[in-house]
Amino acid sequence: MTTTAAPATTPVVGFDQVTKTYGSVRAVDGLSLRLYPGETVALLGPNGAGKSTTLDLLLGLKHADSGSVSLFGTGPREAIVAGRVGAMLQSGGLMDGVTVAELVKLACSLHPRPYPVSEVLARAGIAQIADRKVDKLSGGQAQRVRFALATAGDSDLIILDEPTTGMDVSARQAFWATMREQADRGRTVLFATHYLEEADAIADRVLVLHRGRLLADGTAAEIKAKAGARRISFDLEGGIEQDALRGLPFLTSLDVSGQTVRIQSADADATVHALYGLGLYPRNLEVAGLGLEQAFVAITEAEEARQS
Amino acid sequence: MNALIKLELARALRNKKFLFFSVLYPSIIYLIFSSSAGSSGKVYGTDLTVATYLMVSMASFGALTAVLMGNSERIAKERESGWVRQLRLTPLPGRGYVLAKTASAAVVSLPAIVMVFAVAAGIKDVRLDAWQWLALTGVIWAGSLVFAALGVAIGYLASGDAVRPITMIVYFGLSLLGGLWMPSAGFPQWLQDIAQWLPTHAYAALGRAIEQSQAPHTQDIAVLAVSFVLFAGGAAWLYRKDTLKA
Repeated sequence: MTTTAAPATTPVVGFDQVTKTYGSVRAVDGLSLRLYPGETVALLGPNGAGKSTTLDLLLGLKHADSGSVSLFGTGPREAIVAGRVGAMLQSGGLMDGVTVAELVKLACSLHPRPYPVSEVLARAGIAQIADRKVDKLSGGQAQRVRFALATAGDSDLIILDEPTTGMDVSARQAFWATMREQADRGRTVLFATHYLEEADAIADRVLVLHRGRLLADGTAAEIKAKAGARRISFDLEGGIEQDALRGLPFLTSLDVSGQTVRIQSADADATVHALYGLGLYPRNLEVAGLGLEQAFVAITEAEEARQS
Repeated sequence: MNALIKLELARALRNKKFLFFSVLYPSIIYLIFSSSAGSSGKVYGTDLTVATYLMVSMASFGALTAVLMGNSERIAKERESGWVRQLRLTPLPGRGYVLAKTASAAVVSLPAIVMVFAVAAGIKDVRLDAWQWLALTGVIWAGSLVFAALGVAIGYLASGDAVRPITMIVYFGLSLLGGLWMPSAGFPQWLQDIAQWLPTHAYAALGRAIEQSQAPHTQDIAVLAVSFVLFAGGAAWLYRKDTLKA
């Protein structure tokens, strides 16, 4: 497991051997992790991986069966009261019967270090719907209002659970531009997402969660490398000796169809070098990176295979 | 917390249907009941005219409507929608939500009480001393907190489709059996024996003691105090249970 260089500061988030079970299901299973100031971290995992439970534990909405959770070296509730955390949850509802502006104003007045209401509205891109009733919003608009509530004041950590659910592509892009701005101000951002390209494009650290345990922790590039991150394909004329190919170094998968060979390799340079060393003459050689999505699938599949 | 109280209030004042039911409805019922009964006669067992007797009943009923009807359903709905959860991600103290709900209900219940008094004095010629008017307003207003606590407890107890019927049964049951709609002196004896232990009965009895310049009965004060402890304790317990599972 790759660990990010740890500065000698108090971690923003500290999980120490945290376990949470529902009946016989271990939603979070001995999870330990630390987040440091200024990091933009993606929490990645399939449905039921324990992402939402992890965020709930982090925010003190649920209590761990064992282990300890800390935010800025204190308990979650203390950090929230001090206004150090802004959070947007999927399950977070909105008060109905009031306007968007009224709701944002409420969030601002509850925060110990609030921003001006107009600024919060503008940054979340909801200034033009400020007078609309909250119950009349589309899914994407409601998400933006939730985002405004999470960023109503000067918080050090922003937590987002699947923030772009219900947004179309352009809204999603605008949203992440806003989010980057937050990260650029030195905030720590932790977000859970299903859109894997978002983790790839935005996060400088990716945590892969599966069955409540941390499978991988590193940069998007490192995660891809861990999964056998490069794909090599080429054609071979004449017979293909699969056994010889299978003996190639750093090979993680081999697929032969007709004359075409597709290989996944953890170290493409070494694999290609060895390929020539076999005395073969590959044609149409291509080496390409795996998307994070494929890397992610590869990691979770490997884990499932290991467990069964 | 003031910001939330203000917003709750703004929302309540915008809700025309709720305002009609909690502010005007008790006065209308008062007019209908007191007119049909003939206002000059005395109510059995008291030296109060029907109009005076019913005034306290309907002011109490109005306060009960304002604090019970709005809150239980709203709390249940907002627990389900996740708004309660969202508020827990803010520095608002845990009890702030319940206090804001209770405070905004109390602000709506005051005009309901005053409106019944105004109609009684203006149309039905009910005459009382100044201290009696003030004491009545204070006692009925303060007493409504007992039922505000009950509303909160129901909001945390029930969910979804069950809230409205449960609230309705409690609301009409307490109003009717407590003698807010008709004097409980007309009930059969066995029902009177039960009714005198209901908080709504004690609630209206306090107001009537003031109207008759009598000292309040210890039993009524005790019934209200015990009810308040039960309802508020129940609400606090249910609230904590809900917090742990949310």
